[in-house]
Amino acid sequence: METLPLNKPSYLLLVVLCVAGFSGGLCAQEISGLVQGNLTKTDSTSSYQNQGTGILREDNSGVAIAQAFVKLNLELTDELQFESVANYYQDGEKHLGFTQAQLVYKPIVNSKYKLRARAGFFYPRMSLENVEEGWLSPYTYTQSAINSWIGEELRIAGLEVSINSPGRARRSPWSWELIGATYKANDPIGTLISWRGFAMHDRQSLHNDKIRFAQYPTVVDENLIFHPSYVEPFHELDGNFGYYIGAHVRYLNQTSFRYYFYDNLADPLEVNEQRLYAWRTKFHSFAFQHKFNNSTRLISQWMTGSSVMGNSFVFVNFDAWYLMLSHQQNEHRYSVRFDRFIVEEDDAIPEDINSSDGYGLTFAWRYDMSANWQLGFEQHVNKNTAQNRVTLDESINVNQHQSKVVIQFRW
Amino acid sequence: MRRFLFLIFICSNVLAAPVSVNVTSNKGNPVFRAVVYLEPVEPTDFPVPDSVPDSIPTMDQVDSQFMPHILVVQKGGQVEFPNSDSIKHHVYSFSQAKQFELKLYRGAKAKPVAFPDAGEVELGCNVHDWMLGFILVVDTPYFAKTNMEGEVDFDVPEGKYKVKVWHPRIQDDESNLKRNIKVASQSNISFSLQKDLLQDLSGFEEQTDNFSEYE
Repeated sequence: METLPLNKPSYLLLVVLCVAGFSGGLCAQEISGLVQGNLTKTDSTSSYQNQGTGILREDNSGVAIAQAFVKLNLELTDELQFESVANYYQDGEKHLGFTQAQLVYKPIVNSKYKLRARAGFFYPRMSLENVEEGWLSPYTYTQSAINSWIGEELRIAGLEVSINSPGRARRSPWSWELIGATYKANDPIGTLISWRGFAMHDRQSLHNDKIRFAQYPTVVDENLIFHPSYVEPFHELDGNFGYYIGAHVRYLNQTSFRYYFYDNLADPLEVNEQRLYAWRTKFHSFAFQHKFNNSTRLISQWMTGSSVMGNSFVFVNFDAWYLMLSHQQNEHRYSVRFDRFIVEEDDAIPEDINSSDGYGLTFAWRYDMSANWQLGFEQHVNKNTAQNRVTLDESINVNQHQSKVVIQFRW
Repeated sequence: MRRFLFLIFICSNVLAAPVSVNVTSNKGNPVFRAVVYLEPVEPTDFPVPDSVPDSIPTMDQVDSQFMPHILVVQKGGQVEFPNSDSIKHHVYSFSQAKQFELKLYRGAKAKPVAFPDAGEVELGCNVHDWMLGFILVVDTPYFAKTNMEGEVDFDVPEGKYKVKVWHPRIQDDESNLKRNIKVASQSNISFSLQKDLLQDLSGFEEQTDNFSEYE
C-alpha cells in the first residue's frame, strides 16, 4: 500500500484548520491566488516527466496552465498564523495538493532580538530567486537549476526556529538572522539529480507527488539497483530527524547574503516496499543579492554537496550555481540568468552511470499591465550532458530550447 | 470650524510675532527634518486637535516604509494608518507615550489611533523588520520640521516659550535641546549640536521590494 508522504494526523490538522478558517469567521483571513497560462514552443526531446531524458518540464508545443494556486493566510491569534498554498498542475502525476502548509509564530516583543518559529510543510529560505507568493520567481519563468531541484525534491516537514535582529531597530545598517530546523520526511532527496541530473523548470512537487524519470536499465534492473523509475520525495523511511542551519546577513536593503547547511541524516540502507531508498543528502547553499540601485540587481546562488544511497550503490558530488541580472523599468522587468550544474559519481556500481552536467541561459521579459494582469515572454536554451543516456541508446549530449509567451492573473 | 474660531481668537486678541529657528550639527551642517516645537511657559488651554477625518494626520505605508518617517502631532490628536501597499503590514509600538499594535490589511481601512500623551513613539512592523517610523506627540500646536537648510519659521502669539528640538539621530543632552525665549518681536534662535549625529540609515528607505514571500 502506498504511504501518505505527510502523516495522516498532520494532514487532517491542515484540513481542519482550513475548514475552521472558512466557516468560523473567528479569525482574520486573507486569500490570494494566481493563474498562469502559457503558449510554449519547445524542442522535441522527451521530458523527464514523460520518462524521457530531457531536462525541461514540457516536450510538447502548445497551450497549458503552468501555475495555479490559492494561498490562504489565517490569523489564529495576533502572533500565530496559518499559511497554506494549494496548487493545481496540469502536468505530472498528481494534479492537486499542497506545496506549503505551515503555522507561523511571530511574537511582537520589545527587544532588538526577535524569535520566530514555524512548523508544518515549508521551504527553507535559501533562495533569493523564489521570493514571490507561492514560491515563484518574479524574474524568470524557468527557474535556476538549483531552485528547480529544491522545488521538486526538498521540503521541510518539521520545525524551524530563528532569531533575527533587525539592524534599523539597533540603529545599525546590518541585520542578521540565525536559523535552525529539524524535520522528517525528506529521505529520498537526491534521487533525481543522481539519475536524471539537474533540470530547469517551474513545477514544484505537491505534498503527495510522484516525479518520474527515464527507465534507465541499470536503475530498474532487479539484479542491479532495482529502483522504480520515479521518486516520491516526501517520504519518511528511516525514522531519523534531519536538520539544517542557516544565517542571513543584510546590509540596509541593498545587499543580502544567505548561507545554509542541509543534512537529512538519512540512513542510506533504508528502503521501503516501493523500493524507494533513503538518500543521505547534505549540501551547502550560498545565496547573494546586490541591488545597484532601485532598478537593477544581481542575484547569485551556489550549492555544493553530496548524496549517497545503499551501500554506496550511488554516490554523487554535485555543484550548481547561477548568476542573474535583473532590471526593472517602470512596469517592465528584464532578467537574464546563466546556470551551470555538475553531478559527478564515485560509487560502487560504475555500470549505473550518474555523471551529468550542463549550462543554461534564460532571458525573460515581464510586463505588469495592471495590478492583476501580467504578460511575459521567455527564451531559454541549455546544453546538457548525461552519461547514462548511453544506456538508453541515446546521444549523451542534448541541446534544448524553449520559448514561452505567458499571461498571468493574480488577485 | 473650531480651529478657524481659534485663529480668529488669536488674531483679535493676541499679537503674533515671527520666530526663526536654525539647527546645525556639531560639524556645522544643517540638520534636515529636525522637529522644532514651541511650548508656552504659561499654562494654555489649547483647543483639542481637529478630529475631522480629512484633517487627521496620516502615517502611510508606502513601498514597505513608513511615510513620513517622522510625523508630529498635537497631544490628544489622532493618526490614521492607511496602507498604500498591496501587502499586509503589522504596525506596533512599545514606547511609553503610546503602546499599540495595528494590523493593516491590503485594501482595508483601520480605525485612527489616539495619542493622548506627549512623547516619542517609535513604530515598527512585525512583518517587515526594516520599517521604522516615529510619531512625536507634542503639547502645543506650534511645531514644524526644519528644511534642507536646517531652518524653520513660526508665527506665534507674543509670550514666553520653551523652544525644543528633536530628531531620532540627535544624541545631545536634553539641556542643549531646549531654550527659554520671550517672543515680542522677531526672534532668531540657533541650536548647535555638541555630539555627533547617529549614523544616517535612510538607506533602509531605498531599494525595498514588494515581493511577498519570506516576510
